[in-house]
Amino acid sequence: MDSPAANAAFAKQIGVTFPLLSDMNKKMLKSYGILKGYDVHDDTFEWALRANIVIDKQGIIQFVEEGDSAVDPNTALTMCTTLHKKEPAK
Amino acid sequence: MKRTLALGLLAAAALAAAPAAPQAGKSEVAKMTLKVGDTAPEFTLLSDGWKTVKLSDYRGKKNVFLAVYVLAFTGG
Repeated sequence: MDSPAANAAFAKQIGVTFPLLSDMNKKMLKSYGILKGYDVHDDTFEWALRANIVIDKQGIIQFVEEGDSAVDPNTALTMCTTLHKKEPAK
Repeated sequence: MKRTLALGLLAAAALAAAPAAPQAGKSEVAKMTLKVGDTAPEFTLLSDGWKTVKLSDYRGKKNVFLAVYVLAFTGG
């Protein structure tokens, strides 16, 4: 897992304005079913799938994609925009 | 424009040298266990500022976009 310190350096490098999060104990990855084991050279190694997940304000999953298609975030971003438009104006 | 989205980039990386795709073993693409309509499991993660970030922090406030990005800081 990338540590918070590594993420801080990465955040500075790419200039992000959103939090970069670390799952150092892998709990989130496991509970979301994203952490997978791979058998390589007679041993098992775990690393995460690439995934995009959109969760609405009520905590309900509205969109998931994983693997190669998750490299492109645009579909998930479109879902975010759709969710925002559905919300009543305040 | 009102900021409505909380974007979380989850960097899950273990190895300095990015491994190639698994060469042996489970070659099938694993499937995520969650699906649309499910309640998202609560999580607590560490931000790049060493603060805890919980999914419930955003409940009723913002939609959340989680991008699980493996080996983000490796250039691989």
